[in-house]
Amino acid sequence: MEPVVQFDNVNKSYGGYVAVENLNLSIEAGKFVTLLGPSGCGKSTSLRMLGGFERPTSGRILLNGKDVTRVPPNKRNVNIVFQDYALFPHMTVAKNIAFGLELKGFDNQKIHRRVSELLELVQLEEYARRLPSELSGGQRQRVALMRALAPDPDVLLLDEPLSALDAKLRQQMQIELKSIQEKTGKTFMFVTHDQEEALTMSDTIVVMNKGRIEQMGDPDTLYGRPGSVFVANFIGETNLLRSTVLGMDGDMTTLNWNGITITASQGGLAPKLGEHLYVVLRPEAIHCSVAEPASGNRIKGKIRQRVFKGNHTSLMVDVGDGTLLNTLVHPSEIAHLSGENIWVGWKPETATVIPDRHAHN
Amino acid sequence: MRAMFSDAPRVTLAAFYWAFILYLLLPLTLMMAMSFKDANFVAFPIGDWTFDWYGKVMQDKQFLEACLYSIMIAAATTLAATILGVWISMLIVAEGIRGQVIIFALACLPAVVPGMISAISLRIFISTIDMPTGTAAIILGHTVHAVPFVVVMALTRLRSMPGNLVDAARDLGADSVVAFFRVTLPYLGPALFGGMIFCVLLSIDDFVRTFFLGGYRLTLPMLIFAKVQGGMSPEINAMATLVLVVTAAVGLYAEHLTRRARTR
Repeated sequence: MEPVVQFDNVNKSYGGYVAVENLNLSIEAGKFVTLLGPSGCGKSTSLRMLGGFERPTSGRILLNGKDVTRVPPNKRNVNIVFQDYALFPHMTVAKNIAFGLELKGFDNQKIHRRVSELLELVQLEEYARRLPSELSGGQRQRVALMRALAPDPDVLLLDEPLSALDAKLRQQMQIELKSIQEKTGKTFMFVTHDQEEALTMSDTIVVMNKGRIEQMGDPDTLYGRPGSVFVANFIGETNLLRSTVLGMDGDMTTLNWNGITITASQGGLAPKLGEHLYVVLRPEAIHCSVAEPASGNRIKGKIRQRVFKGNHTSLMVDVGDGTLLNTLVHPSEIAHLSGENIWVGWKPETATVIPDRHAHN
Repeated sequence: MRAMFSDAPRVTLAAFYWAFILYLLLPLTLMMAMSFKDANFVAFPIGDWTFDWYGKVMQDKQFLEACLYSIMIAAATTLAATILGVWISMLIVAEGIRGQVIIFALACLPAVVPGMISAISLRIFISTIDMPTGTAAIILGHTVHAVPFVVVMALTRLRSMPGNLVDAARDLGADSVVAFFRVTLPYLGPALFGGMIFCVLLSIDDFVRTFFLGGYRLTLPMLIFAKVQGGMSPEINAMATLVLVVTAAVGLYAEHLTRRARTR
């Protein structure tokens, strides 16, 4: 099937500053795709280029196979949900949603039907005649979403739309956004710097850094098998152990970290003997115990810090050489770990290796 | 002792304020009081009171004509100044335009050029291009003077406008013209309304420009001026009182409306 959106070798620079470099990206219909990265990574610029508000310095953007690189925003069948919603302050909720439909030349009856249908979708029927200033943050967010969905765009673009909401509402809206996307079957292109948002909602996450795609994949893959130090650090909490390859066995590899032999999954990499690699170890994969584990990787350590986090406790364990491992201990187990000296252990297949380089440096 | 010292500046400030208010209101009050005097000359004591002067003014054809003429000129001035003012302020906030500071400074110049100088130069200008004095010339003169006030009010509002409102309109299928009329202009609404009322008041109040550019038809200030030259009479006081009450009411109402619109 032909992708809905294609970025074909797209570059964008402002003066000497390169915002987006050689972007090649295809988005399939009906998917929830997130561009994730720190500020200045080029994610918003990419979205604005697809919306028609920025013109690429070179390259092409295709929408349903048609080149739209030079088509102005009002002639593209994509709509944006803006970061601060950009609702028209002098129009009621219903008028805001109807705006795009009126410009498409629909008759009044059809507009009315579509507006009520959309308001019903987000349970805002009673607010049709209110002005945006009379709504709460979450309600404005929903209206902005419905206004952008109303003209039935090929792709809905969302530019950090949840960043203005408080934490609780943001979580609620993540679930709602995902369910609206599933109900409508629309292609969503979501831009955020919040890895939690990306993990919660996306079918595909595109991690961007310094104007380039760092890694692309489904949330599971990105979390479980990050392809670079940048991705490992950006998504979730991570422990990185810089080690030397001692040997390979099937898809496992044996490494030397600080005089201790550890085993980890190769993660699709083909390690060479003597090569330096990072072992990626997620806090929840680590098991802390007083007695030495019988099997698997294990290192002796000292507890340096305990941070109570409600549903778990975070232990910072010094495993020698000043390296602190961030571990996660369940409430049922924390009582057994009263002393300072403990063992940290993990199953070899829960750790993976990534190349020893900060990508694109 | 200490309390007295610390209160002294406050008392002084208040005293000067009330002295100022007295100076402001006393002449107005006297003028209004005289309009009710049942005699042909303006002097104390008032003696008998009457409404006759108002009846006379309301039947004075010259006065009513001058009122109508002034209002017509004010309306035309306001229309022209609003269109020009919005046009210029859009230019000033537009992206990729150079010398916006200079555009703004030039647009504001008419507000600071002394009325006398502006009036004389316009008079010389229209006779140079063989344009007759009269209605069109007055409207031109008033418009030039009113534009800066519209520009300043429109600009203040435009600068507070979220930049992506227009982007949102474009995104939803509006070309730049539709986006202007359906989003930018309504957003400017309250500020423009205030600016327009200001234009009306400026135009009705203007004497110097009208004097130099006008023809035989008298505007309100010119009529009152002509009457004063013929000697003070309570009739003039009645006219002036009417003008004062109407303009003050319009001004306050406009302020009230824009204030309400701004808080929304």
